[in-house]
Amino acid sequence: MNHVTSETFDQNARAALGDVQLRGALRNATSLFGRRRLAAARSLDNWEDLRNQARAIKDDVLLHLDSYLEQFVANAERRGAQFHWARDAAEANAIICKLASERGARTIVKSKSMTTEETHLNNALEAADIQVVETDLGEYIIQLAEETPSHIIAPAIHKTKHQIAELFTQELGMPPTDDIAKLTSTARTTLRDRFAAADIGISGVNFGIAETGTILIVENEGNIRLTTSLPRVHIAVMGIEKVIPRFADADIFLKLLPRSGTGQRLTTYQSFITGTRTNPESEGPEEVHVVLLDNGRSRMLSHPVTRQSLACIRCGACLNACPVYQQIGGHAYGSVYPGPIGAVITPQLMGLEKTQQLPYASSLCGACREVCPVKIDIPRLLLHLRSEITEHGSPAVAQVKKRTSERAAFKVWRMTMTRPWLYKLSARLGRLFQVVLIRDGKIGEVKGIARLATPLTAWTSNRDLRPIERQSFREVWRASLRKN
Amino acid sequence: MLRFARTDMQTRTNNSSAREAILESIRSHLSLSKNLDAREEEIQHKTARVSGLVSTVISDATPVVDLFKASLEEVDGHCLIVHDETELVHALTDIMRNLRQTKLSSLRVAVSDNSEVQRLTSLIALDLDEIAVTPSAADVFGFDIGISGAQAGIAETGTLLLDSSRERHRLVSLVPPVHIAILDASQIVTTLGEALSLMQKDEQVSPIVTLVTGPSRTADIELTLAIGVHGPQDLYVIVRS
Repeated sequence: MNHVTSETFDQNARAALGDVQLRGALRNATSLFGRRRLAAARSLDNWEDLRNQARAIKDDVLLHLDSYLEQFVANAERRGAQFHWARDAAEANAIICKLASERGARTIVKSKSMTTEETHLNNALEAADIQVVETDLGEYIIQLAEETPSHIIAPAIHKTKHQIAELFTQELGMPPTDDIAKLTSTARTTLRDRFAAADIGISGVNFGIAETGTILIVENEGNIRLTTSLPRVHIAVMGIEKVIPRFADADIFLKLLPRSGTGQRLTTYQSFITGTRTNPESEGPEEVHVVLLDNGRSRMLSHPVTRQSLACIRCGACLNACPVYQQIGGHAYGSVYPGPIGAVITPQLMGLEKTQQLPYASSLCGACREVCPVKIDIPRLLLHLRSEITEHGSPAVAQVKKRTSERAAFKVWRMTMTRPWLYKLSARLGRLFQVVLIRDGKIGEVKGIARLATPLTAWTSNRDLRPIERQSFREVWRASLRKN
Repeated sequence: MLRFARTDMQTRTNNSSAREAILESIRSHLSLSKNLDAREEEIQHKTARVSGLVSTVISDATPVVDLFKASLEEVDGHCLIVHDETELVHALTDIMRNLRQTKLSSLRVAVSDNSEVQRLTSLIALDLDEIAVTPSAADVFGFDIGISGAQAGIAETGTLLLDSSRERHRLVSLVPPVHIAILDASQIVTTLGEALSLMQKDEQVSPIVTLVTGPSRTADIELTLAIGVHGPQDLYVIVRS
């Protein structure tokens, strides 16, 4: 298991930048997903309307989350689903471990769920001596390699087929091959036995429909269908923000989610699960349990800017669009949720003290906002969190030293920009002193004694800086007036 | 196991208090944002209640059956359109012959409890090694082919709608490596929205409804498409027109 954390984001990012294989894989993945998303969005002539409607629905849900949740729970309970409320990750894991131990469960099959990654459920189950098997191909690979997902949609994006083949040979005794079809069928065969033997299936939830008490889960592989159909007990883990009001709303979200995530018109399977089977003769689990997880989500409702983080439908489009993610991948973020949405969700879920570098892991270019199917203003959220770090100096970030210099720098900037005489003076001084730094017409890496004198070192260690022009626009303007 | 004794009691007493605590936290945090919300024109403007659905305009005049076939083939499914029972039996026989020649060494068939599907399958029984009706979860893994009906088709996506309260096909459509579905052209609707409204009868939805669009797929290894991971590798839909 790699112990990368958000606290060391700068070092993580630097290490990732040096990983040639990782960067190649990221380049392929993010550009492919990006192109597919664009083509899929363009295949509909009302993409913008859909985004606006989806956001309006989410805003409505979040403003009345308590009543929609109660409606969802009441309708699903009426149909035989059993509900468990968990304030935090530990509580959710305890509930699931208890359900498992009460039923004498030895093996659990699990389908992909970011929420259970967030609670580190697998660790809790293993500590309780229950074997848990990830069944999504990407997650299965990651579990065998004892790693963590690096992308919301494609968890094993950072691994090559050679590495996976090596892993399968080692762990599953498969004869060495580089054939992706063979690797896939090996995983299928191995996991069939697990599905057949499992006592409990654990899944995530994409949408909980309040009107009918229905859980909607989308996928391509079929492992979610197997997880929720074969074992006697199905446990679904769901963040409290996943509710949508009406059954018909699924139409809008099913148009947006697959197109934004993988560029598909529709994923291969959608399972609509409403309570338990009514006829004891029918197929499917006897018990359906839903664990509703708060874990810091309700806190995000307290401000309109932070609240929009809860509109996220976990499509991963912002990861693919982000110039920072494109270069460093998911692991550098040191958290379950990577990329732009991770940079805003993680600090809110885990607190700022250990994650304060994340809101700065962005150039604020706005690409994430452009592609977001529910129009989350991620740059605004990033700025909001940055200001919480610098302005309020909230108790969570009392030990912030680095950012106080940032605050001071912006003070000086404001002072200069609001006083013309000071601006003119500093421009002149700049022109005078930059002479010692200019090489070949640009300011390259600042070296030697000058490092001490200039705050530009951090910038120039990675890129060139354009020197200040010899004459300002006003000087040129005045000179030309004089000439005429 | 002793370790659980403590968490057991804790969680039992905690469930109702956790519920109240979470709902209370939602309400109190929402009330904190009330004043700020008033200032957020954006949000005010956006919470204007949405009514109805975005209608998808299918400008294409293509008949739904052809659109269904084209959409299904786009996602690597097979679609055969037949006009009478003779053609249908021929189609089934062809599929079986093809499967035996290319990938299956035996043809053990699991059928749903749909009587029409059972009758049609019995017509080709001589070509098959075994026929079983809705085998249990323990037995279904031994079958090569699952044959079922479907409750609707969606033309714009090439999707099958499987409602498990109207047919026992949850496992036969999922576990065997090949799934064959028999559908009437009259069951095909144009859009996903129409299919969703079919699913909701008197505000109720069946315990399990599954939408199936093509064979199972993954791109988890180097983003290379692989057909047939956990669900069926081959999906045939025979449409009776």
